[in-house]
Amino acid sequence: MDRSSHLSVVVDLSPTHWYLSSTRSQQNSRPLSLKSFLSQLLVFLNSHIACKDENTLAVFGVLPGRSVMLFSSLSEISGNPLDAADADTYRPFKVLDGTVMRTIAEHVENLGPSDLEKPVELVGALTKSLCYINRITATSSAQSAEQTASLDPRILILSVSPDQSSSYIPIMNSIFSAQKLRVTIDVCKVYGSESVFLQQAAHLTGGSYLHLERADALLQYLTMSFLPPPGIRQLLSVPTQDKVDFRAACFCHKRIVDIGFVCSVCLSIFCQPVPVCSTCRTKFPIKTLQRLNAARPPITIPAVAASPSVTSLPSSHTIRAGHINGSQPVAPNGLR
Amino acid sequence: MPSIELNPETASTHTELSPHILLAFLQSQSQTALTRLYQRPSSCLSIFRLLRPLERQLILNLLWLESSIPMSTMSAWVTPEGRKPYNDSLSNLARLHVIPKSTTKLALNSTFRASLRQAITGGGTTGSFGVPVEPDPQYPPPDIATLDAYALERWEIILHYMVSSGTGQHPTKPSQEVLYLLQRSGLMTKMHGGVLQITSSGFQFLLHDPHAQLWELLLQFLYMAEERQMDMVEVLSFLLMLSTMELGREFSTENLSPTQSAMLADLCNYGLIWQHSASARWFSPSRLATTLTSSSPPLPTSRSTGRGSHDQGFIVLETNYRLYAYTDNPLQIAVLNLFVNLKSRFPNLVVGAITRESVKKALLNGITADQIISYLTTHAHPQMRKNKPLLPVTVQDQIRLWELERNRVKSQEGYLYTAFASQADYEYVLDYAKQLDVVLWENPAKRCFFGSLDGHANIRGFIERRTAEKA
Amino acid sequence: MPPRRIEHEGDSDSDLDIFEDFDSGAKSKGKGKGKAIDRGKKDKGKGKAKEQPYAWEASYTRSWDTVQEDEAGSLQGAVEDLIARGRRRRLLAPAAAIRRTIIRHLVLLLDLSSAMMDRDMRPTRFDLMLQYAREFITEWFDQNPLGQIGIVGMRAGIGERLGGMSGNPQEVLKTISERHKLEPTGEPSLQNAIEMARASMSHLPTHSSREIIVIFGSLTTCDPGNIHEALAECVKDRIRISVVALAAEMKICRELCDKTGGQFGVALNEGHFKDLLFELIPPPAQRALPSGPNARSAGTAPADLMLMGFPTRLPDTSPPSLCVCHSQLKSEGFLCPRCGAKVCDVPTDCDICGLMIVSSPHLARSYHHLFPVKTYQAVTTLDNMPNPSKMCHACARPFKYAPQSMAGASGEGMSHLGRYRCPDCQNDFCGECDVFVHDVVHCCPGCGR
Repeated sequence: MDRSSHLSVVVDLSPTHWYLSSTRSQQNSRPLSLKSFLSQLLVFLNSHIACKDENTLAVFGVLPGRSVMLFSSLSEISGNPLDAADADTYRPFKVLDGTVMRTIAEHVENLGPSDLEKPVELVGALTKSLCYINRITATSSAQSAEQTASLDPRILILSVSPDQSSSYIPIMNSIFSAQKLRVTIDVCKVYGSESVFLQQAAHLTGGSYLHLERADALLQYLTMSFLPPPGIRQLLSVPTQDKVDFRAACFCHKRIVDIGFVCSVCLSIFCQPVPVCSTCRTKFPIKTLQRLNAARPPITIPAVAASPSVTSLPSSHTIRAGHINGSQPVAPNGLR
Repeated sequence: MPSIELNPETASTHTELSPHILLAFLQSQSQTALTRLYQRPSSCLSIFRLLRPLERQLILNLLWLESSIPMSTMSAWVTPEGRKPYNDSLSNLARLHVIPKSTTKLALNSTFRASLRQAITGGGTTGSFGVPVEPDPQYPPPDIATLDAYALERWEIILHYMVSSGTGQHPTKPSQEVLYLLQRSGLMTKMHGGVLQITSSGFQFLLHDPHAQLWELLLQFLYMAEERQMDMVEVLSFLLMLSTMELGREFSTENLSPTQSAMLADLCNYGLIWQHSASARWFSPSRLATTLTSSSPPLPTSRSTGRGSHDQGFIVLETNYRLYAYTDNPLQIAVLNLFVNLKSRFPNLVVGAITRESVKKALLNGITADQIISYLTTHAHPQMRKNKPLLPVTVQDQIRLWELERNRVKSQEGYLYTAFASQADYEYVLDYAKQLDVVLWENPAKRCFFGSLDGHANIRGFIERRTAEKA
Repeated sequence: MPPRRIEHEGDSDSDLDIFEDFDSGAKSKGKGKGKAIDRGKKDKGKGKAKEQPYAWEASYTRSWDTVQEDEAGSLQGAVEDLIARGRRRRLLAPAAAIRRTIIRHLVLLLDLSSAMMDRDMRPTRFDLMLQYAREFITEWFDQNPLGQIGIVGMRAGIGERLGGMSGNPQEVLKTISERHKLEPTGEPSLQNAIEMARASMSHLPTHSSREIIVIFGSLTTCDPGNIHEALAECVKDRIRISVVALAAEMKICRELCDKTGGQFGVALNEGHFKDLLFELIPPPAQRALPSGPNARSAGTAPADLMLMGFPTRLPDTSPPSLCVCHSQLKSEGFLCPRCGAKVCDVPTDCDICGLMIVSSPHLARSYHHLFPVKTYQAVTTLDNMPNPSKMCHACARPFKYAPQSMAGASGEGMSHLGRYRCPDCQNDFCGECDVFVHDVVHCCPGCGR
């Protein structure tokens, strides 16, 4: 059967990074402004609806310090129905485009200057889209068993901001729940450096991870790689993953590490040998500490340089992570 | 991950998916007609939706490219497993003149590309998605529930008329045009005395799902339009436009061409649109019309059985051939009556049994065992869906066996070879025929055998050569 | 029989000390019910189970009796009530992080003796055991992704190795997938099987836990030597033995569990059998630190800090190169972060530099044990709210304004408004999302952690 599918799109709307993306600089030879990005995105969303009448859509926006639902095919159409009347446009497209643009404008206007400092709420949007998928799959399974199977839900993350290493654990938790729900996560990195966490997300859920190389061809990239539902992807050579970086963030300084020290009891990761596990309060034998300290040649920095994958990680990243750590004291039990 | 296990199954279903019935019709049309059709964004969007997933993806991949791309580049992004579906899709699209056939470069038909682009991005001045109007305060427009009830009533009148023809009942007659269409399409035929009688293809028609039924009738309508010298493109684009309209809205009739205005009355008869009077200046499309290009149920849930008897299923079938149908819809009961021996009837339940006689009656009417089984499967009660397999195997097998009973004698054309001069001759020719695998029956005692039609030329040549050698 | 199971869902979190006190109450009450269970101190969580009949005592299973209709003849109330119980169970769960052993090694001993063909559990003890064992293995790997399971069968007086230690759930499931190869026969031998299990775990490093879970249907064991010697060896090797008996309590089984710090239980009926088995899934909580050298709380191996590397996975399209483990040309593989050597699969130890290479998602799978989401508070009134949100913060489902009448469910952590509020971010969630967030996502959509 030709199955309908559900698509949840998580759009990163971080003003800071969109500003960076739209300015021409040395690293950014093909600037992409938010406006042209959104117009291409809307065409992509329209194409998804165009493919099948029953295809459903939900759009979530990621803003500094908050995440919002911008559109969902389930929600009631608000406003006067007649002002959307237009003989030249298919009405669902009109409603979709209007709603997305209106809600984005509303939420961006509500941002205060203090909000701009906050990191973007990717996790919130991701968990919300999972809850939403859970809701629609749960209701359809109540109706009939076949509909659940035909839903094929997936999530597309369009990201511009770098990894928040503090959100490592929640992101991983969302990835695992996506696996449980059999949700495919696709990632398109529109601007900025490679994201370690999102690479893992795409890899673990069987989705595609794409780093946009030519911003002017965004629509073509989106259509060719992310529009086909999972059912026909195996017939097409959709871009598969390049290298996947399995690095993790340590619990103590939120640094992204490739070699870490792991507590055997609770599997917390530390970037340097610690005498007591900060998560489960286990005391480690002093002998191990000595051994590890001795065996630790200047590991943290040089090992990073030796690793083949690190070239993609800009140095500003580590500095940033360090800064976060400096500004807010880490709670006693790790992340919380 | 379990999803990976599922995939091969979906792949096979994708390739088996038969193309939509309308597409075959379109393929038979001339290129100029199609190009005219493709000028309207709404037609492009609707046709696009009727295509198979891979075809849709191919179109979208090419949609935003300005120049054509080489064949080799295009074929580079299908996997080896996708090769066959990919080639099928390309030839299918070529026949629709969407992607003109070419050995070197591929590009979308420029008219189609421009219109589909416009459909997806919006804008333009074609007005192809219907011009909405403010409702007339004098005649308030029907709400969605009324529209649904209206469409259902119209549709069931047609089906019920078909089902009960020849049973002595006299349900409401559909309009003359509908009757003509039914007759024209061979679903019903005029018996002696001018009484319309359902044909075997009509019985098969009844067991299809409403969506297929609707398209089957509309296709007949299109053929009829051709005969009536109506402009095919106008007719088609109006139908396709209806499918992109929104349920519960009113659209103006003023922008319609004369041909399209002439269609309004017919479409009212089928229940596709609603008009408060034949001369009204606006109409409302019903759910039958707006779901033409989607697979959501085209008919609202049946009025009497409450919630969701159409999409939920209502039939419980037991291993002892007893059948319980939770419905009080006369149409559904009448359809069941085609192959079930109904015993008792309750306010919301009909009880019957599948017997040899009832199935034989259905088979005589031209219904096949597979159709019965597929009808039972699609309308199975949600409780039944927990069973695996869904229908009791015994019943399924028995229905098939009953069908086989009718086919005990199979005729096959061929030639009987007799009067061989010697046993050696006979065996020599027989051996040769056996090598060709064309022997259907042999009798060494009587020195004769029966060969199939297609082997005759060879055997005959062989015998002639042999007699020539001997001579 | 789902309704029955819910009765003792509350017992499945065996490591909760909260149950300790009401258990002891239940124990004194249930003493008269016979010799079957619960004389030991370790064994808990069976207090409520006592009020249920044994499988062979029950005449009919009347699952419909558990659910009761309200005046209107609707089951709505009863269903809501069941949900309420589920919620209450979760409210009791501790919010603080617990120390757990997460790298586990387990040998599952399956009784394949003729006693397993008894039909007191439907369809047979044997079929039920296979079915539950499969579910157990799937769930176990889900919660203990770094763990390994081996399977040993007890049949015709010997221990049969059905599958070696493996970290791949599919491989383990395959070993018990073919029923006809496991057809029960003869007498079981506990000693042989335990020795075999012990041998297969003898090479493991000190910081990993070793466990044996025995599913035992027989009332006898047919051993070549003194089983107490095998027991002493297990205690020495810190192997934790847990037994789920299907027939009745045997002294030696109880002793195996008591001496090694495991759990012992006798299954009363099918549902209880599953509960007993699934109680063994969550990583055992580490109790107080091992006191002194004779710390008999086996299983709590000394904690240690381990050096681990997180590799980079090469794509299938990369140029082929030799791997260090098989010396084969392959394009896909993982790069050791320390020495850059290519290995085929993780988790493993790098053959060149000896670094333990794990993929970080493996570790991360267990983090939700460590940082549970705070329990949401049921919102009972909207009076002191200036403008309550119209829809669920997570899934945008609109809230109902008219309070629902529920059959005696409120007060057990249910909100008649269907609203649950996160204590941290003060956002309201619907009941479905509440359950989904706490059971699956483990991350609050409002606060993002």
